Amino acid sequence: MTNRRPLVIAYGNRLRGDDAVGWVVADALRDDVRMDLVDVVAVHQLTPDLANEVTKASRVVFVDARLDGAVAPGVIAVDDVLPELVAGSMTHDVGAGTILSLAEALYGVHPPAVAVTVAIKSVEPGADLSGAVSASVSQLVDTVVRLCTETSHA
Amino acid sequence: MASEITIDPVTRIEGHARIRISLGDAGQVADAQFQVTQFRGFEKICQGRPLAEMPSLMARICGICPVSHLIASAKACDRILAVKPPKTGADLRALMNLAQVVQSNALSLFHLASPDLLFGFDADPATRSIVGVAKVHPQLAMDGIYLRKFGQHAIELLGGKRIHPAWIVPGGVESPLTAEKRDEIRAMIPEAYAAADRALAWYKNNLLSWAEEAETFGSFQSAFMALVDPDGNVAHYDGRLRVVDHDGTLLADFDAYDYADYIGEYTDEASFLKPTYFKPRGIENGLYRVGTLARAIVAERFGTPRADAELEEFRARFGRYPSSSFHYHQTRLLDILYGIERMEMFLNDPDILATRVSSHAEVNRNVGIGVAEAPRGTLIHHYVVDDDGIIQTANLIIATGHNAAAMNASVLQVARHFVKGERIEEGMLNRVEAVIRCYDPCLSCSTHAMGQMPLHISLVDQDGEVLDEVRR
Repeated sequence: MTNRRPLVIAYGNRLRGDDAVGWVVADALRDDVRMDLVDVVAVHQLTPDLANEVTKASRVVFVDARLDGAVAPGVIAVDDVLPELVAGSMTHDVGAGTILSLAEALYGVHPPAVAVTVAIKSVEPGADLSGAVSASVSQLVDTVVRLCTETSHA
Repeated sequence: MASEITIDPVTRIEGHARIRISLGDAGQVADAQFQVTQFRGFEKICQGRPLAEMPSLMARICGICPVSHLIASAKACDRILAVKPPKTGADLRALMNLAQVVQSNALSLFHLASPDLLFGFDADPATRSIVGVAKVHPQLAMDGIYLRKFGQHAIELLGGKRIHPAWIVPGGVESPLTAEKRDEIRAMIPEAYAAADRALAWYKNNLLSWAEEAETFGSFQSAFMALVDPDGNVAHYDGRLRVVDHDGTLLADFDAYDYADYIGEYTDEASFLKPTYFKPRGIENGLYRVGTLARAIVAERFGTPRADAELEEFRARFGRYPSSSFHYHQTRLLDILYGIERMEMFLNDPDILATRVSSHAEVNRNVGIGVAEAPRGTLIHHYVVDDDGIIQTANLIIATGHNAAAMNASVLQVARHFVKGERIEEGMLNRVEAVIRCYDPCLSCSTHAMGQMPLHISLVDQDGEVLDEVRR
């Protein structure tokens, strides 16, 4: 347990506008000297095999875009992720909670996890982030770094 | 009273889609359609991009089968450059494609299909999930995860990263394989064989439990299309496209460059998915299937000992030309086994470490067409460039487009067999969805699911009144 490191899992589609924000954050985190003791993974979508990787982590931080018409684009939220009792069957991929459930069912353990999400404006095909989401990236990076380093020092 | 049942969206497939079932006046199923409700904008994005960017750009279409897009794209670029990759460069591309075949087929079978197969099609959806599989049959779930990990790790070692590697480039690949990486992939192979063998044994032992579904899940006569090598065996990276009829009659054998003479596309006003048809038979009669089942039917053999032994057993049980799409599941496992074997053969060849892995050239043609067998079936990329290599038009024909007509026919068949009356029953609707999952359609130009995606099923009469509604 003592050698476990925080794991950041960022996900989204790089060709669907603001949905790429997770990848942009992951790229920034990899170049961030504060993240020396943190593993960063960027994926198109969450898949069951990630259950194996999260069991090796001290904590998991999921980074995702959030379609939420009630909130202005660029607003960041941090929420705990809990294992989902009903998984998978409603979605073509799996949710973050399902990853934790799978880890628990298969390996008997799952680490604490949080989701850092940012409200987005558009998922239309395209390679650029909208202005508000692009402006939020540095704050997103700082938020993830804080969550990871708090864990590292705990 | 004429009515419609809509299942929107279909769950556990890549992307967003819905199934619409129309009932006739007497309540019988009159028609059924699989519709894709999201827009694919990628062909438009390509326009104006330089040729060299295309493989890595196209790989971003999909998080599950990016390597197939890389390969079809790079092969189209090869044609435009008029270059032939060195043998090792081509072998390394094929090796990466096989790694993807293993991991993607594993995702489909273990994550998407196994909950139905393990718990039954009438089981409570609360337990019929991958987490349920993990709790009840952890070895099956672990084997699925291992095969995914094996394929993903091989892709990562070859390309530097497991999703969207930019290692495959026009003319070959960017860098040679090192002995250390080769050995690391090779070390994972014994456990990959063990996982595939356990899954096949489990599947074959339980076949009788799914007899009714095997009889009714897309069981009809159709043509099949797949790539084959010069010996007529399964080929994923390169070869000729071969089309055979339901009884094995050879209908066509052609170079991918001539695909437009044999494969037509048409638009369906209700769906963004562009279906295809076998041109010599016209739209009405031109239905054909691609993917793992088609490969097992079109090819003479796999050409590897373990997969061929399984293929022989499969054919002894279901015949040389089985008609049911339910058998996509078993042939998916055969495809996995073949993928592992072929990967091992490539890795055991000393030439795989050769350092000349790419060829270089300028634009020499204005048109390029590339083809590969993706896990779900034949993938075609067709580019037109100007003299500076700037993309003018791009056309992508994906496996899900080839299979669109077959999926519609399959949904109709299942609906007619299982949908009774005007009430929505869990088991019947799951079977309608499950027949689509046999084809493992990939509509992955979608965003990932944002939280819980609701399943909304409504039964509506001809006046728009909702007769029955289910959300889960």
